[in-house]
This record gives sequence, structure tokens and C-alpha cells, in this order.
Amino acid sequence: MCSAIRSRFPFSGSSGLALGVLGVGNIGMVHLKSALSMAAVDVRAAADAMPENRNRAERAGVPRTYDDYTTLLDAEELDAAVVALPPFLHADAVERAAENDVDVFVEKPLARSSEEADRLLETARKAGIAVGVDHTLRYQPDMIGVKSEYEDGTVGRVPYASITRLNDGPLGRPPVEHAPPSWPLDADAAGGGSLLELGIHCFDVLEWLFGDLDVRDATTDATLDIPVEDAATVLLRAPETETTITLHCGSYQWEQLPEVNTRLRLEGITGTISNQDHLPGNFYASAAKSALSNVASRVTGSESDVFGPTFYLQAHYEALSAFCEAIRNGERPPVDGRDGKRSLELAETAYELAADGDGDELETMEVT
Amino acid sequence: MTGESVVRGTVVEAGESTNDTDIDADTTDGTEPRDLLDGRGGDGDNAPIRRWNPDLDARMAAFESSVEHVLSPILDALSTAGPGRITLVPDTHYPFHPSTGMVTDPALVGATLSLLDDRTDAELAVAGTSSAAIAFERTTDYLGYPSLVARTGAELVDCSDDDLERERYVLTNDDHAVAVSVPVPLRESAVIAVPTLRPTDAGTFAGGRRTLARLVDAVADSAATAVAATHAIDPRGSLLDATTAYGESPYAANALFSGPTPAVDTLGASLLGQSSIADRTRAAELEAMGTTDGAGEISTVRVTPVGTAADASGVDFEQHLATLRERLDGASLPPSDATHPAVSAAYRLYAAVGGDAVPPQLDARGGH
Repeated sequence: MCSAIRSRFPFSGSSGLALGVLGVGNIGMVHLKSALSMAAVDVRAAADAMPENRNRAERAGVPRTYDDYTTLLDAEELDAAVVALPPFLHADAVERAAENDVDVFVEKPLARSSEEADRLLETARKAGIAVGVDHTLRYQPDMIGVKSEYEDGTVGRVPYASITRLNDGPLGRPPVEHAPPSWPLDADAAGGGSLLELGIHCFDVLEWLFGDLDVRDATTDATLDIPVEDAATVLLRAPETETTITLHCGSYQWEQLPEVNTRLRLEGITGTISNQDHLPGNFYASAAKSALSNVASRVTGSESDVFGPTFYLQAHYEALSAFCEAIRNGERPPVDGRDGKRSLELAETAYELAADGDGDELETMEVT
Repeated sequence: MTGESVVRGTVVEAGESTNDTDIDADTTDGTEPRDLLDGRGGDGDNAPIRRWNPDLDARMAAFESSVEHVLSPILDALSTAGPGRITLVPDTHYPFHPSTGMVTDPALVGATLSLLDDRTDAELAVAGTSSAAIAFERTTDYLGYPSLVARTGAELVDCSDDDLERERYVLTNDDHAVAVSVPVPLRESAVIAVPTLRPTDAGTFAGGRRTLARLVDAVADSAATAVAATHAIDPRGSLLDATTAYGESPYAANALFSGPTPAVDTLGASLLGQSSIADRTRAAELEAMGTTDGAGEISTVRVTPVGTAADASGVDFEQHLATLRERLDGASLPPSDATHPAVSAAYRLYAAVGGDAVPPQLDARGGH
């Protein structure tokens, strides 16, 4: 794959990696704005079925927009494309990109199932295109801090760890301002609920920290009478470090940015490592620091911060930047299709165990 | 201005457990309903239940006695009059979780339907409407209404259905005329509004009249439409769900109120600490159209404790009301921005100074 990537260089454009963005909803816009800020990336076009999203992309500075991603892929000469479409379109988008010899950076989950991921990756392999996956937690400064502290051995052996990721999902919180999208609550379209939307990030970051994981037990829940789970709890074991881990994710909790409810704790022999200790302490102070840094970078010509005050958006920038850097260098993306598929496999095992336990008292939870 | 209006109030308390109630054994999962008493404090008193119980059957069972007490005059009148159809109009504006207080608890609707089914021979219905944000069917599905209404054979009626016959109703006097188009099934039904104790986006009380106003078509302002809709539909009264109220956050108030819809609205607004003189004056002005007693809404509302709230050995109802006022004073919904307005402003300043990208969450609200 890497040799195939290298064989297509130099890039299509003179000013850098020619990039298209397929899907410019909220996360697609984050990718678009990130890419527009990258010196070595030439954003050629964006596609979205929603006119208001295309207008937003145009206001952000993208030269051309399309209402169909297949048309964009056929019309533009690209080196890479960001696939920020709903999961049910990922496989098709990758296939279309493969037909056009375009590397892809795919929003998580890579696919709706590991079986679909296999087909997607086989298509990519045959076409010789690279597949990166947007698993951003490992690019967040708090997670990087936890990993660094853990690997420095500051707490010794870690027998137990826990991770929680909560947000308000597609239904949001009051006041109601937008129609909630239907696909995130449609198992056929999304592949699942919170476990695929949020848990998938947690699986990825936990394997990044502890190595291979075994899923031991799981339960899912729905706080409303919705077609997919909006909460999941998974019991894991990391054989290499002999760490027992609990993972809880849910789309049931109202969220007000910039507060983001992601908690990771490693309980070690000599103490605790918490991601909270590695977060920017104060939004305003962080914004002021980034502003000063960016002003200074204009003078020195060095790279400036992108989404500086918001570490979770900055992580998306870093993930895409790392992907683009790998493509430019003809290397395998740092988080690639295998990682994306691996997280899907863990989620699927969790679903199976939760389904197996449906008759047990613990797993039977009343809705509403 | 006329004399005082009487609203009946009660507290759903621990003493009204499933132990004291003859429960329909048809639970949703075949298990025995759980006892709401499990939330009782350790001091052995009859303090109101504070813990949300996700078991719909347990909540219904716990509400039934309180609903019977508080709704007694309306139930008696309906039993005597024998209307062919009775329609409940709960707050189902969006599928927020009932434990937030942002919608009427479906269990309260279920308990009321059950009582009406026992006490009358009327056909039963639950009415609501679709909005620009979400279809009524989707909201009621997520809130679990289909299985709930199936217990009593009640019908779910979407008043935005184009196939529903409508009737024009004009509320007028010498100075004003307000026209509303009302679904005929509502005009031909005995209606009970079942609002929840929460503020609207605009900061007013989302009471019975505003809940009814959502079911009619009109071009008048919201206060006028609410008054005209109430006149047109002529509800038998309101049952105010204050089991969980929303002030600036949810509060397990465990209270129910019932009485004439304008009077209950006046009480609800006062409990939320709202004294929007302009709104109430406008409403009162219109309320007076064609009616001699409508202006009672701005005269004194007396709350008569009933059921266990009237029992000297029960909770101190006056104190309960005082606590309710204190906890809900200044009720308002969270800021509309995905981020807190102060943070949004800071981010925009930062982006302008530092030359960074603005996150799409701010873009969507014109944040450049």
C-alpha cells in the first residue's frame, strides 16, 4: 500500500496535498476548517447533500462544493479525501475513492460492522489506497498526558482503569433549535448506538494504552424508547498488563461545551493517573495563551494553533494533520484501517455479550 | 377582576407505594412492578420520593392515588356527564427524558388514562402535534407512548395531520379578534391539558394554555393564541405535572396540581418565579373576551391540599410549596448556544486576535 501511495507522488496540486471533504456537517466542518489551516494541504472541494452545509463550507473558504460526493470524486483531481458521511455511506465512499485512486481519512466508526470493514479494507487494498481513521482521543493532550505518565511508571502497575465518555447525542438538550438527524438512531444506518458512536473511541485509546484487550462482559441500556442503545458498560481485561478495565459510554447526558465529559483514571500501586490532571486548566487562560502563541507565530513564521482553546477539536486537527503527513511521506497512516476494524470487533463482542445477558437481571433495564 | 380560583394540589409521597395499590399485573417485561418506596429516606418518615424510578409501571402505580385525589372534581364531572371521548394533551414537544421535567411524565398520562378507563365509558385519546424539529410520532415513539396507550386502547392523535378536519374559531369583543383553526376531534372531545412545570424557550411558563395552543393553527402572538385556543377547546381543566419540574435544572418536586386551566397556569408561572406583567396582562385582556370570569387568572389562586397533602400527619404542604418556589425561582432553559455565550464571545475574540478557526458549533449561529 505504501509503495502504491508513493508511486502517485508528486501531489496533484502544486501547493500541497489535494484534499476533498465528503460531508460537511458538524464534524466534517471541523475537518474542513482544519484542512484549510494546513499549509501543505490544498483543499479543492467539499460535498454535502444539505444546501446549508454547502453554504457554510463556502463561507469557510472552500473553492467548490458539490451536492453529491461521487460527483466530487469524479470531477476533482485529489490525493486524499476526508469521509465525514454517515456510517452507512463509508463503504461506498471508500469504493468511489478507490476507483479514483484517492486515499481516505474516514470518520469513526470505520464501518457499521467488522464484516463491512473487511470489505472496505479489501477494496482499498486492491486499489492501493491508504485508509486512515479519525480516532481522536489518542490525539487529545489529556490522553497523551496519561499515556506519558503511565509509561514513565509513575504509579507502578495498574490493576484497574476506568473510562467514561458521555454526551447528549443526536437528541441534544433544550432549547430545541434543530431537527435531530434520524440516522444516528437507526441501527441500519449507524451500525449501533452509543457503543459505536462513543465507545469506539474508548476501545481505541484503551488498546493504545494497554495493548490488546479482551471483552469480558457488557450491558447496554436505553433511557428512552429509541431503536439503539444510548448507554453501554463494558468490562475489559488487558492480558499484557493484567489490568481490569470498565468502560461506560452514553449519549444521554446534556452537554454544554467547552465542558466535555470524558474521564479516564488509571489506578496504580502508588497512586492514580487521571486525564483531568492533564486538561487545560481554564478555557479563558488557554484561549489567551493560544492567541499570544498565534500572534508570535505570525512574526516567526512558525505553525500556529488551530482550534487552540478547544483541545477536543484540536485533536481532530492533529489526527487529520498526522494522516496528511503520512500520505505525503508515503507512509502508513498512524491510525489506519486495522485500528478502525479492531475497535469495531471489540464493540461487536460487547454487543454479543450484552445480548447473551439479556435474560439476566443486571442487563434487563426498563426504558423511560 | 373576579374572586379567587381554587387549584387542588397534592404531593406524591412515599406512603402511596405500590404496596397500597391494586396494580395491573401487565408490566412491560413480565416482572413485578418495583416499589417507589425504595427512594424513602433512612429516617423512616414519609418524605417525598426523591429518586427517579425508571420502572414505568411503578411510577404509574405510585401516581394513581394522587391523580385520583387531585383530579377528583373533574373525574366526577366526567363520570356524570359521560362524554363520548376524552382527550389528554400532555407536553410532548420533544423527546427529552421525563426525568428532566421538560416533558410530561408518560407514567402520569398512563395513570390518568387508567383512571378514566375505570371511571368512564368514553373513548380515550392522547393528542399532540408535530413541529418543525420533530414529528409527533417520533417523539411519542421515543417516549414510549404506543405501548402506554395500548393498555387502555387510547388513540394517539397528531393534530398536525392534514387529514384532520378543522374548525375556525374566533374569539372576539369590541376591541380584539383572534382566530384559531382547531382540529374538530378536540372541539368534540372533553379535553384535559397535562402540562409539565417548565419554562419555554422564551422564559414563560409552558402551561396548559400554551400546550393547547400548539395544537391549533393561528397567526396571532403566542399569548393571544394560547387564550383563544383555550376558549376554543374549552378544556375541563389542567393536571399540572410537577412530579419533576424544571427550573434552572430538574427538581423532583413530587407535586401534582389540578384546576381550571388559566388558574393552574397562573400558579405554575408563580412557582417558576415569573411575573411577566406584559404577558399576563395581554393574556388577561384577551381572557376577558366574551367571558365574565376569565379575568380570574390574575386574581388570587388558592391551593387546596388534597389527598395525603391534606393529612395532618403527612407532609407540610405549605412548606412544600415554599420549597418549590425557592427551588424553581428564576426558571430558564440553558443558553441556546452549544457553548456558553461567554465562552462563545471569548472564542470569537480569540479567533479575531489569534487568527484561528472558529468551531462550527459557533459558526452555525453566525459566529464569525
